[in-house]
Parts: sequence; C-alpha cells; structure tokens
Amino acid sequence: MAAGLCLAWGLGALAGCGGEQGGGGDRASNSADSGPDIPAVRPVSGREAVPREVRFNRDIRPILSDKCFACHGPDAHTVQAGLQLHTFEAATSALDSGGAAIVPGDRASSVLWARVNDERDPMPPRDHHKPLSDAERALLGRWIEQGAAYQPHWAYVPPMVTPPPTVRDTDWPETEIDRYLLHRMEAEGLAPVADADRATLLRRVTYDLSGLPPTLAELDAFLADTSPNAYERVVDRLLASDHFGERLAVFWLDLVRYADSVGYHGDQTHSAAPYRDWVIWAFNANLPFDTFTIHQLAGDLVDAPDDDSLIASCYNRLLQTSHEGGVQFKEYLAIYNADRVRSVSGAWMGATLGCAQCHDHKYDPYTAHDFYAMAAFFADIDDVQHIRDPNGGIYNRLPTPREPEITALSPLDRQRIERFQAELDALDPSADPRERALLEAQVLAIRPRKVMVTRAGEPRPVRLLPRGNWMDESGPIVEPAVPAFLGTLDTDGRADRLDLARWLVTPEADGGVGGMTARVFMNRLWAQFFGGGLCPSLDDFGGQGNPPNHPELLDHLALAFIDSGWDIKAMVKRMVMSRSYRLSSIPSDQVAVQDPLNTLFARQSRQRMPAEMIRDTALAVSGLLVDELGGAVSHPYQPAGYYSHLNFPVREYKHDTTRHQWRRGVYMHWQRQFLHPMLKAFDAPTREECTAERPVSNTPLAALNLLNDPTFVEAARGFAQRILTEAQGDDAQRIAWAMRTATARGPSADEVAVLRGLLDAARSYYREHPEEAGRLLGVGLAPRDAALDPVEHAAWAEAARAILNLHETITRG
Amino acid sequence: MPHDDPNDPASFAQFMQRTTRRQFLGKLSLGIGAAALGDLAGPALATADSAAGRAAAAVGGPYTGVVSPTHFAPKAKRVIFLCMAGGPSQLETFDDKPELQRLTGTPMPGSFTEGMPLAQLQGKPLNCLGSRATFAEYGESGQRISNYLPHIATCADDIAIVKSMVTEQINHDPAHTFMNTGSIISGRPSMGAWVNYGLGSLSEDLPGFVVLTSTGGRSPQPIAARQWGSGCLPSQFQGVEFNSKGDPVHYVANPPGVTDDRQEHLIAAVRDLNRMRDEEVRDPEIESRIAQYEMAFRMQASVPELMDLSGESQATLDLYGATPGDGSFASNCLLARRLAERGVRFIHLYHRGWDHHGGLKQYMDICCRHCDQPTAALIHDLKRRGMLDDTLIIWGGEFGRTPMSQGEGGDPGRDHHIKGFSMFLAGGGVKPGISYGATDELGYNAVEDPVHVRDLHATMLHQLGIDHKRLSVKFQGLDVKLTGVEEARVVRGILA
Repeated sequence: MAAGLCLAWGLGALAGCGGEQGGGGDRASNSADSGPDIPAVRPVSGREAVPREVRFNRDIRPILSDKCFACHGPDAHTVQAGLQLHTFEAATSALDSGGAAIVPGDRASSVLWARVNDERDPMPPRDHHKPLSDAERALLGRWIEQGAAYQPHWAYVPPMVTPPPTVRDTDWPETEIDRYLLHRMEAEGLAPVADADRATLLRRVTYDLSGLPPTLAELDAFLADTSPNAYERVVDRLLASDHFGERLAVFWLDLVRYADSVGYHGDQTHSAAPYRDWVIWAFNANLPFDTFTIHQLAGDLVDAPDDDSLIASCYNRLLQTSHEGGVQFKEYLAIYNADRVRSVSGAWMGATLGCAQCHDHKYDPYTAHDFYAMAAFFADIDDVQHIRDPNGGIYNRLPTPREPEITALSPLDRQRIERFQAELDALDPSADPRERALLEAQVLAIRPRKVMVTRAGEPRPVRLLPRGNWMDESGPIVEPAVPAFLGTLDTDGRADRLDLARWLVTPEADGGVGGMTARVFMNRLWAQFFGGGLCPSLDDFGGQGNPPNHPELLDHLALAFIDSGWDIKAMVKRMVMSRSYRLSSIPSDQVAVQDPLNTLFARQSRQRMPAEMIRDTALAVSGLLVDELGGAVSHPYQPAGYYSHLNFPVREYKHDTTRHQWRRGVYMHWQRQFLHPMLKAFDAPTREECTAERPVSNTPLAALNLLNDPTFVEAARGFAQRILTEAQGDDAQRIAWAMRTATARGPSADEVAVLRGLLDAARSYYREHPEEAGRLLGVGLAPRDAALDPVEHAAWAEAARAILNLHETITRG
Repeated sequence: MPHDDPNDPASFAQFMQRTTRRQFLGKLSLGIGAAALGDLAGPALATADSAAGRAAAAVGGPYTGVVSPTHFAPKAKRVIFLCMAGGPSQLETFDDKPELQRLTGTPMPGSFTEGMPLAQLQGKPLNCLGSRATFAEYGESGQRISNYLPHIATCADDIAIVKSMVTEQINHDPAHTFMNTGSIISGRPSMGAWVNYGLGSLSEDLPGFVVLTSTGGRSPQPIAARQWGSGCLPSQFQGVEFNSKGDPVHYVANPPGVTDDRQEHLIAAVRDLNRMRDEEVRDPEIESRIAQYEMAFRMQASVPELMDLSGESQATLDLYGATPGDGSFASNCLLARRLAERGVRFIHLYHRGWDHHGGLKQYMDICCRHCDQPTAALIHDLKRRGMLDDTLIIWGGEFGRTPMSQGEGGDPGRDHHIKGFSMFLAGGGVKPGISYGATDELGYNAVEDPVHVRDLHATMLHQLGIDHKRLSVKFQGLDVKLTGVEEARVVRGILA
C-alpha cells in the first residue's frame, strides 16, 4: 500500500470520516472517477477513494447533512431556493429555476451536479465554509449515476434480524459477537491480534465489572486455575458482586446528570443521594431495563407506587434549577422544559431533540412541535413552587427544600440493615456483647433520608414558543405527544409520562420504539467494555452523527437485549465472554496501520480510567477503601477556599473525618459549579447536561493532582504500610509485590532498578531529615502503624507515589 | 525523531506502526476523547490550510491552534477581560442622561417598560432614578466619564466606550454564561477556551487561560467554574484559576515532607518507568503523559515565580495600589500584566461586588475604590511597556442596571438591565478615544448602533485574527461556535 494513501486515510479517519471508508483493498481499487460526461470536475486524487457501490446512509447522508441540510434540509423555515434534499421526492421534483436538483441516473442533467462543480458560484457557497472535497463530489456523482437511491436513516429503522455472518477462519470465533466482528475484519483483510495474557485479562474484567483492581489473592487464584471455565467463573463472581452496580452506575448517572447541587446561581445542595443508591441497586438487582426506564420517568404513575419507584422518579427532578432572586417564572419554566427534553432524548433516544427548541431540527426529522409536545409530558411536575419567592428566601437553605420530597430508606439502606440483622441473628449467644452492640448501633445509624420525588399534578399548559422565545405567547398550546415521524401514542385522554416511558421500551411491532432504545443502550454498554461504540457517536444517532461501523451486530445485540427480557447482566456477560473482548490491547503492526481508531475491534482498547476508578484504585491498593454500599455523600479532602465563589448561603467545605473519607468515587459529593478538582482533572462531567461520553484528557493539572492531592499522598503512605507489613523479602521482592498489587504484573529487572534507585535516595534523604519523614507521614487522617520505622515508611511512601503515578496504574489495557 | 517525518515514505510505515490517533493528539499535547476527536483533529490535521499545524504535530512541536495561520492578520495576541461581576451601572460610569435626571422620582413611561423583562422589580413600582454621579469631559477626546472613575478618566484617550451593549439574559448566572460562552446551555466552551483552541498557547510553562477573582462591594454574586470551562472542547483548554490564598493553583505545591529535589527524582522515575512500559505496549498516550508531568513540574516553579510580586518596584505597586498577597483586584491587575508578559493568551479577572440593588452610592464608592485605579494602571503600564498594542482589554459586567430605582431610603439601588449598557475596550487594534453607540434619552434601550454580546465576541475574535464563522467544533451534531447560530457582526466602528 502506498504511503500517500495511508496518510490520507489516516488523516481522513481522524477527521471523522466514517469507518466504513476505512479498511483495505477496496479503496485502493477505486482511485479515480473519469466518466466522459463530467463537466469541469477536478480529478479525484488517489488519496481519497470512492467505493464502487455507493450507499446512501454510509456515503451520502453524512455529506448532505453536514454540508447541505442547513439550507436544503428538513427545517422548512430556512429552505433556500425552494429546494430540500432530505427526501428523494423533494430532491427530484422540479425546481422553480427549471430542471431538477437530482435526475436519477443522469448527473449531467442534475442541477446539483452542475452546482457542486461550478467553480465560480459553487455549492455549498464559499461563505458556508464547508467546501466539498473532491472525493465527496465524486461520491455524489456516482450516487446520482447509480440512481440516487435514498435509504431511511439507519437509526429510525427498527433493528433487523440478520443471521450471524459466515467467516473464513471458523476456528477463531467463540461467540456470535466474534463472528460479526471477524466477518468485517476479514472483508478488510485484517486479522485479530493475539489473546490477552491471563493477568491482563483478569485486571481488565475486574475493572470493567467492578471498577476496582483485582486483589493479589484473586490474581493468584485465577492464574492457578487451569480449568476451562475459570474465566467464566470470574465473570459470574463479578456480576454477582455489589461492586458491579457501583461501577455501572457511573455512566448512567452521567446520562441523567445526577448531582448533589442545583447547578444555577447559588448552587445549593439538594436531596438526591437515595436516587443514586437506587441506580446502584437496580444494576445489582438486575432490574430489567424496561422497568428501570418506567420507574425513573413515571415511578409515581405506576400501579401501586412504593418508596423505591418514587425514589426512582427523582430522575425528573435532577435538572438544574435556580433559586436566584428575581428569576422570571415563565422564563425558567421554559428553561426547565428544555432541560428535560434534552435529557430524555439524550439519555434514552440518542437524539438531539433539544435542537428543535427554536426551530425545526436542521438535520433530523424533529420539529419544533415535537420538542414542545415532548416537554408537555413533564408539565404535570410542579416546578412553580420553587421559583415563587422572588428574593430567594427559604430556598437558600442547605439542602434547599424542593418539595415534593419523601423521607425513605433507599433499597441499599434496607439491604445493609438486612445484612447487619442477619449477622446479629447469626451471633452466638455467647458472643461478646460489644460486638452485638456494635451491630445494633450500625442498624440504628441507617436512617431514612430525604429525596426529591415526582408527584403528578394538574398539567400546566405548554405552548409552542416561536423561536424559543418565552415572552411570545402567540404559539398554540401543545398536547403531550411523541415525535410525529416516530408514530403516535394510542391513549385515552391526555398522554402522560407513563405512556412515554412504555413507548420507549415497547418494541416497534407493538407500536413503540423499544428496538431503537435498545440499540442506543447496547451501544453505550458496548463502549463501557470495548472503549468505543459499535456506532462511534454515543450521543447522537441523528444525521450529524457517524453511522455505525457494525450495524448488523448492533441490531443483533439490541434484539437479543429485548428477547432476554431487557436483562442487562446477561448482555454484559455476552459481551465480556466473547473472544473479541479478551484480545490483547496491543496493536499488531497491521492493526496499528490499518485501524488506528480501532473501529473494527481487532484488538482491545486502552483506556485511561475514569476519575472514580483512579480514586478507587488508590484507595484499594492502599488498604484505605471503605467498602460500604450506598448511603451518605462522601466528602474527601479538597483545597481550602474552593467554594469561596459560592453564595446564598456562603459555603465552607468540610471534608469527612469519619470512614466516609475513604469511600468510592461514585459516592463523592457532586457540586455542579465547583466539581471536586480531582474529578475535574480526570474529566468527570459537571452533570449539568446529559453526558454520553466523557472526554479523556492528559493535562498537567491531572499530573499535579495525582502527585500532590492529599488523597493520593495518604494512599501512598497506606500502600507503603502494606508493602512493609504484607509483603515479604528484600527490597526487590517488595517492589515486585507492590507492582503486582497496582498493575497485576511483576516488574522487569530494569523497572526494579529504577524503583530501588528512588527508594535508596529517599531513604538517605529521610534518614538525614527524619522530621520531613514525619511530615510526609502526617498527610491525611488515616491512622499509621506506629511500629513502623518512619524513615523506612516515608521512603517506601515515595516509591508508592511513583507506582500510583504510573500511566499503567491509571490505564485499563 | 527522524522516523516521525510523514513526508519521508521510507520511514512512514514505521511511523504509522507506532502511531494511533492518540499519538497525533499526544504530539499536540492534546489528549482528548473520541467525542471531540474528529473535530479537533479535523481542522488541525486534515485541512489544507493548516499544513503548519500538521507539520508541528508530526515533529512534536507545540500546539499552534486550529486557526493556523490566522484568518486575518491579528491585531491582538492576547485578551485581558476585566469582568465587573454583578453588573455595574452604566448610568454612574459612562452613560450620562440629563433627561433621566430631570424625571427622577416620576414613573418610568410605560412605553419603555411594558412587556419588558424584569428581575427583582417584578410587580414593583418603576420610577426614574437620575445618575448619582456627576460627569465631565476628559482628555483630548473629551469623553464624558463619571466622577466615580477618576483614574479611568485619565485613559479617556486610550479607550473605546461602547454605550449600546445589549444581552439576552437578566439573571446573573445565565447572563455570565451567555457573556462567556454565547449560550445559556451549560457545556459550551468559554471565550478563553475558544481562543486557546484557535490559537494555541504562547507559554511553555503556564496554562493558556488564567482566571483571577477578587471581592469587595455588595454581596458577592456566585461565579460558577462553568464560566471558564472548556465545555465540549478538550479540557486542556479550560481556564485555570489562580488563587491568592493557599496554593496559587490546586496541588501545585509538593506534599509536606517532599523537597523539590525529591519531587524531581520521583517524576524522573515515573518518566523512566513510563518509557519502559511504552517499549512493551507501544502506547503513544504514554509520551503525552510524560510531557504533561514535565509541564506540571515546570508549573511547580513557574506559578510561584509568577505570583511573587517582590521583584516589582514600589512605584509599580503604587501605580496599581497593590499590596502583594492581598488578593485584591489591584494585585490581580498587576498579575494580569505579568501573565501577559509570560505569554498567557486569555486572562480573565472577576471582581465580584457590582450587584447594586440597594446602596448604589455606597457600593459604587467601594467598587470603584477597588477597581478604578488598578484598571487605569494596567492600561498605562501595558502602554509604557509597548504591550497595549497587541493586548485587547475588555471591561464590563454581564449586564447593566435599570434607569429605574430599586428600594427605598436615601440610597436606593438599581435592578438588572439588559436592553442597553456600557462596556469599554482598549488596545489590540481598537480605536482609542471614542464612544460608540447610544441609548435613548432615559438610558433604557440601545437605540444607536446596538452591540450584541455576539458582536462583541465576533469583534474580539477578529482582532485576534479569527473569523468567528470559521472557528467551530462539532458537538452533538451541531457546529458549535462562540457566536452561535444567529448573525454576529464585527463592530468595525470601534476598530482603528
């Protein structure tokens, strides 16, 4: 393959051209398009290739959507020259200026073809700043020649059954997932890399399913277990662990923008933590995704609502709210409506319905009417009472009262009570009464907590606001309805949130969009375990997103999900049992060159861990982790004065001085306006808006955090204490123990030498400056083993800091 | 690294073998996620007009921005934005309205207020309140400036006053968000992030976007970190707040018991171990990690050096009215100059004290005592150092204040006002000594040459050499721009 082609393709892929254009020989065989009837077309460079058979969804829609639809798309209000290009009928109908934009099979007669090749007055216009590339022009030409066939947008077509494809290498695949992926790899001339070694695999699956590193005991047990189903037993153990829910909750909490503060202005705290518990519980209990959906959107409307379903309905209250003096009711109701529409469409539909607040969507078939009809589902939620007091008043309390609220035990609270109770019941009558008293006290300490819930009231009228202007009341009142192009709800009387929720999880054959919802969820679940989606656009399944690289597999998983009864754990197991999941993450030369974006999954991905996982790793290896499920919000150390910009009321952050100091990241206090600097440095979102995919940055602030944040310094001295008390042998053996604990692999001799050099230098420094050793070991509240020599302890703490700062330690490979 | 030359076909295959998307970005010092990947890499790497950026990426040079070369010859290299948070009154600073004075105490004509947005005056009587200040003409330009700003008045011939600003948001939080990001939807990049994304940083050991805050005046309004967030851009571009108390940057100090030597040894060990790992797994992100640790270590020295004002002469301290370490707006203005000297692209100061719903005279006194002299000092200081020419200074609040009074008693205040208020600009190719635009005779509506926040954004970007229509990033299907989707214009009337 010529180097020039590689370069163009590599850059093209970087620029976001769909992965379908990637791959091997096909591209090389289509180097130029030189039909005799081409008017003034520039030759297609060999660097950009055009597939022989043009497919609308893969090849054409992305071009039209990005470059043409702003003026010739679905938004009827901004159509230029009376031309719309988003349907075959519109694109081929007669133009006012004569002719037709597209004459199928005849590009020479197509006005579109002439205009995109018109050098003096091209389309798109120069001031649109989105010129067509030569390859894009060639694609349009070839597509017209081939009949200009349109396809419905892939995401609006229900998932379809396709039998798992045939593969040439029948030995390699172990599951259907493997067959889909290998089929595509073979078509692209790519071979999967080798399987991961067993230690790497255990570390990967343990992080992926629990968010924590494997213990040395788990590692040794797995390495020693040569039985054929050793791996499956690990998977089953992890799926059954309480940590599964803690791990999976994070991505859902990002989607529904769960936080502990209101977001606007004074950013007062509000009562939502029991909802976070409910999400963790739901994943652990494997609540079917349809119920999971219905309870969040309409837990107050189900038959016999209970505390749990009401806690779930806190979802509707998680939006950003303002208690600023002088807010205008109508303005904020409009803001809240829009927030909820963006959330529900983003979290469940992978849609950007929020774009239709001011105008019909520019790229997708959502109308402004659809936007307000969706908002109307939520008009029965009373927000007015929270913006009734123009001077802030009682709402400046912490937490701010946000009726309706209930006081309840979360399902995790009840679970913990049951477990303590069981321990009590199992106590031998002769047991130490102090032990009994301790357990009883722990039961009593679990108190019902406040949580915002949803209670349906009289729905407010929702008007279509022209151009989104809340002061313009000329628009019609809109009834709740699903987006028109996706069908209608068959209800007696006014549709409500329960109808909406059921529609989201009812299969298409029965009048809902369940298949599409399943596709959105499966894509995001896949990304948790493979580092990227089968459709790369986790947040946008619309025309401006990238089409899926593996549409058949995505559909296969979506249908299997529904068939399983929306069984999340079953689908997770299916994914992590595949051979594809178990591949090495180190690219072969071929994979590195042909698929640097890893869109074909010929290897596993390497992911810098999310913020919570980085924290949890440090706490776990240091032995400080307090493994307590659910409950109160955790307040780790935080720089003094970080909340000095908050007011109404003024705020002083107090870190926990109890066991809550060392709890997992998922329980950390989530202050929207001033997210903990550690969470921020490692790209956790503020959760002001629905986040489907966290960015992954690599910044000096993150380095400073891992180096100097007292949480990590304290963890290093805890880790050092473990090294000195749990590991055996000389320095080299202790270093090996520490490296295995943090990374699940033993170090090389060179690596040991580097750490020994550091350790020895630290030893001599702290021997000469024992008071400095004392200062280092004084960081954090965790008690220290006074039997340890402070100089030794401090020197090892330095080595432990080095290990905690390794790229490898914070990377899941 | 000779094998990294993409123009050499012989070494290219080898280059690609070691290269994934991460490496391209890592070499830009930009580790980012897939969300922004295509777009970030797109303009930087895949368009014909950024060959320079591509070359820099391949040979490991510094990140030079997606707008490389700039769309126009830039007039300004950097921006210092002096945000008077809370919303200063235009009527007590730059907008002299004798007619309003005459009507003091009488109802504001309904023709002005009917159907208009109001904040805390909802349902309250709306009476005219003339300026509590006196105005005089200053400089050769004869600009009319109030007696609250005697020092800024000495800069009358250096500044362009825009008296016809309009915004869309009447409450603090969304108004700041709108002023900083051009949208009220959370998650859009702020100005400073855009500028650094577009142009890259000129500093090797400081962040490209620095925020400094101070208080003094009426009840400080909250300011969310969103105001300097990177939104849907990589977090590399977010503003970094420098604090006057505690660590100037979070976690910039070594842990207790750790000397610089020990920290340096530790970072060297981490680097060596990361390199060894890279040999095994060929993960280009590791190279970026090493670079970030080196930058972090440099920051541990450069940030304290920056914050240390002991090298400034007493005359300079007096010029600003700064006492080192006091966290005042005066100290922050002096730090802004030092940041500008060190190549920081966007320096954003907030003084949180300008929300004068009541006690207007009292609090104008306090706020102006805090802010007037340092602002003027910054302008004079930059000018004498020859830096005003390529530094764009912008002064103003997130909105202005009503011509109507709020509250009872001898010292009433004014409510939030968005239909007409004043800001000023200086340096960076702005025409000095002029006023632009006007409000009506009662100071309510901008009636002559209104300047929308979007226009301010377009103008600022223009002075930096950026066409606001061509600086965008794709996010959730939308080409997000600082100036949004509505028409925005460069305010040529204030450009030299």
